Amino acid sequence: MDLKTSLPENAKADIIYSLPANFTCKGDKMDGHFCVTKEKIYIYNGSEITLEYSIDDFSEFECKQQIGTSMAQGTLKSGETICFCGFSQDQFLRYAELMKLLDHCLRTGELMEITDTEEPVCPKCGLPLEGAKECIYCTGKGKTMVKLIKRIAPYKKYFAIAVICTILSELIWVLAPYLDRVIIDKYVTPKNTHWAGLAGVIITIVTLLLLAGVFEFFNMKNSFKVALNLGRDLRQEIFEKSQQLSMNSISKRTAGELINRVSSDAAKLEDFITANGKDAIVKILSLVIIGILLFIMDWRLALMTVLPVPIVFIIVQKLFDAMAIRYTKVWKNGVSHGETLHDILNGIRVVKSYGNEVREIQRYTECSERWAKSCVRAEMMWYLTIPASEFILTIGNFFVLYFGGNMILDHTMTLGQLIQFTTYVAMLYEPIRWLIQIPRNLADTSVSAGKVFEILDEDTDVRDCDDPIDLDIQGDIEFDGVYFGYKVYNPVLKDITCKINKGEMIGIVGHSGVGKSTMINLILRLYDCTQGEIRIDGVNIKDIAQHSLRSQVGVVLQETFLFDGNVLENIAYAKPDATFEEVIRAAKIANAHDFITKLPDGYNTRVGNKGYQLSGGERQRIAIARAILHDPKIIILDEATASLDTQTEKQIQDALGKLTKGRTTIAIAHRLSTLSNADRLIVLDKGRLAEFGTHAELMQKKGVYYKLVMAQRQTTKMKKAQPQTC
Amino acid sequence: MAENITAEQEVYEVDKLTLLDCKKIRLAKEESGFLTLDYEGRTYHKVNPTRLIPFYSKTTYISLSYENSEKEFREIGVIKDMAELDNEQYKLLDSYLEYKYYMPEITKVYSIKDNMRGAIFVKADTTSGQKTICIRDWYQNFRMIGYDYLYVNDADGNKYFCPDIHKLDRKSRQVLEMYT
Repeated sequence: MDLKTSLPENAKADIIYSLPANFTCKGDKMDGHFCVTKEKIYIYNGSEITLEYSIDDFSEFECKQQIGTSMAQGTLKSGETICFCGFSQDQFLRYAELMKLLDHCLRTGELMEITDTEEPVCPKCGLPLEGAKECIYCTGKGKTMVKLIKRIAPYKKYFAIAVICTILSELIWVLAPYLDRVIIDKYVTPKNTHWAGLAGVIITIVTLLLLAGVFEFFNMKNSFKVALNLGRDLRQEIFEKSQQLSMNSISKRTAGELINRVSSDAAKLEDFITANGKDAIVKILSLVIIGILLFIMDWRLALMTVLPVPIVFIIVQKLFDAMAIRYTKVWKNGVSHGETLHDILNGIRVVKSYGNEVREIQRYTECSERWAKSCVRAEMMWYLTIPASEFILTIGNFFVLYFGGNMILDHTMTLGQLIQFTTYVAMLYEPIRWLIQIPRNLADTSVSAGKVFEILDEDTDVRDCDDPIDLDIQGDIEFDGVYFGYKVYNPVLKDITCKINKGEMIGIVGHSGVGKSTMINLILRLYDCTQGEIRIDGVNIKDIAQHSLRSQVGVVLQETFLFDGNVLENIAYAKPDATFEEVIRAAKIANAHDFITKLPDGYNTRVGNKGYQLSGGERQRIAIARAILHDPKIIILDEATASLDTQTEKQIQDALGKLTKGRTTIAIAHRLSTLSNADRLIVLDKGRLAEFGTHAELMQKKGVYYKLVMAQRQTTKMKKAQPQTC
Repeated sequence: MAENITAEQEVYEVDKLTLLDCKKIRLAKEESGFLTLDYEGRTYHKVNPTRLIPFYSKTTYISLSYENSEKEFREIGVIKDMAELDNEQYKLLDSYLEYKYYMPEITKVYSIKDNMRGAIFVKADTTSGQKTICIRDWYQNFRMIGYDYLYVNDADGNKYFCPDIHKLDRKSRQVLEMYT
């Protein structure tokens, strides 16, 4: 990343980094710079240095994002925070990188002079790249299309048959008008009653038409084969990729967006290939052949047909643009109608309980009205545009008829020739119409293709090293100087160093948003830490095969997701080859067997979205059974009992006790009492490891943990003191 | 942060709306760039003013807050109308808010180019000069608030606005038609 984008006038020679600054520290506008040398920070306003600091005087540097601007600030060793300057948001990533380098300099004493972070914005269009290697917006449409066309390769045999069949049937259609001419000129006009010859020509026409039908059948059969297979390949590949991508990439997109890419975008590409793939070859070919034929027959008439085409092209494009505005409005109003409907119906209980039905009906009516009005405007435009553009496009035809008719009267052309000619002209308009549509179709498809290939071409950022180890995990976990942030410029965990021994139960506590779940995500290697190392049994987790690591870690989360299927399948999810006996044993240990027996169909009771509704505690016990069956070496409990009442929590605690026995366990719980049986506690505060020790030790220390415990006791007392209302 | 008061001693009434008396407010800009407030005998450092209804009003309902030693959010109170502040105080607070909410106004729109992939490029005159504003996911980031107010959030996070698009010149309105 370039961190020396512009220099102030009279800049010092030893400046290593320099970024533009738009505001002084007090918020006044300026045309200044934030400059860094090996030891100093200078703030320039114009060509003058207005502020000067020593890097050594600070303990931390950071960027703070405001609403319309951001500011660079540093915390002095005395604890006072200094604002250096303000800048517009487009500079944010560069400043964040520079602050990171300054922070690194504080820790190591060395200011790195080269930064290997990639450029944050596309040099061509200026849009942020957000980690992608090339700007998805600037990748040429052609390039994406070539990628799409390359995917036909495995089906080239079918594709070739489809193309050949279409060309043959097109040729037959080109031949047909010639035979019409023969009938008219040889038999109709001279009133020739040579029946045998006429019958011969008619039989030829019928045979050719039948042949065209056969070719058409083979063409359709093979084109669909190519398109459907291509669609299937794309859907499958996107899905596989979505399973392989790291949590980081997945969480950038909503589930709905991913579903959309797997189904609708892939379908759009499939349609494009069916409708336009081979058409492109055939239509261009027929345009050329018919064009040549027309010019051979009569070049003057041919010119009359072709000359208006470029003008038509421009006019029709303009009309289409005007129509696009109207249709975009229809689309937007339709979306907003759908959203309003969804919103009101979803909140129907609130609407009814506040007696706001009339207001909502009015809101809906307005929205529906707007949609209907925009539809009428668009349709009106459509029915004006289509006949008008059709008229302009075919205007050459009238000239041909006028001049052609004159030529027949002058005996320079026969009636059959003119009919043949006008049929060809009509046939010529077909590919031209298609050509006019193509820019819009191409634009539409390239959007979908871009989205699909964006996923397919994405590199997973958490990947196995070249020679990953299949480790038989014992359960020692070590954090060594770990830094991590979901966004690099905003670290959630800072300098975490601790060692968790095999078989120990560790509780992680701290305020919400302090990074508890993040620590767990790092152990599961859903994300890679930005700095430092996490070791399991002394091996860096980046060297352990992801499959090997995750197969030996069991997780019980606050909300258990049950897949659509029966209880048996849901428990066996962790170990598909488990015997039924193993499943029952796991369910027994998890205190789940008893309630499962009471379900209408026992272990075959269908659960999940469309199935039997289990209570929170029951779902949790199924999750524990799942984890027990998994037989993990490390267990992670993320607020496993948070959503349960005290009675159920006791049952679950009991089940969890059996699960965690002898295994390294890491538990997060908001309710500190839940962690009473933890051997040691990690206390996180402001992203740093504040305390680490047993409950007794930490209480004695009277630090962060002590305050947390006291605060919770206070709340509990208050709750108890409140009178019961029901 | 408030002087001489630790988090334990402090009583923070989270459920009480404190409307500040503008006569008693004494704001000052520190050398470090932050605001300091003297109010009813207490001094608050690094005070953070926030517009509670930024789209409806820039000078009414301004919340003043700070972070205590535990980095917890503490609201000092709300200024109902900045007009009640004396002139110098008004200017000081207004300039800070203008900096924090720096948002150039769009005064003329020349063209909008759609890359047909969800992003648009708007060439426009703004109060901070002529710009081509890149907007990603324009359905979200280039939208009307009510019937008049256009709110723009560009790909870098810069914000722009137009308080009433119907008051723009005819050409600008035509260009905007498809996108608003």
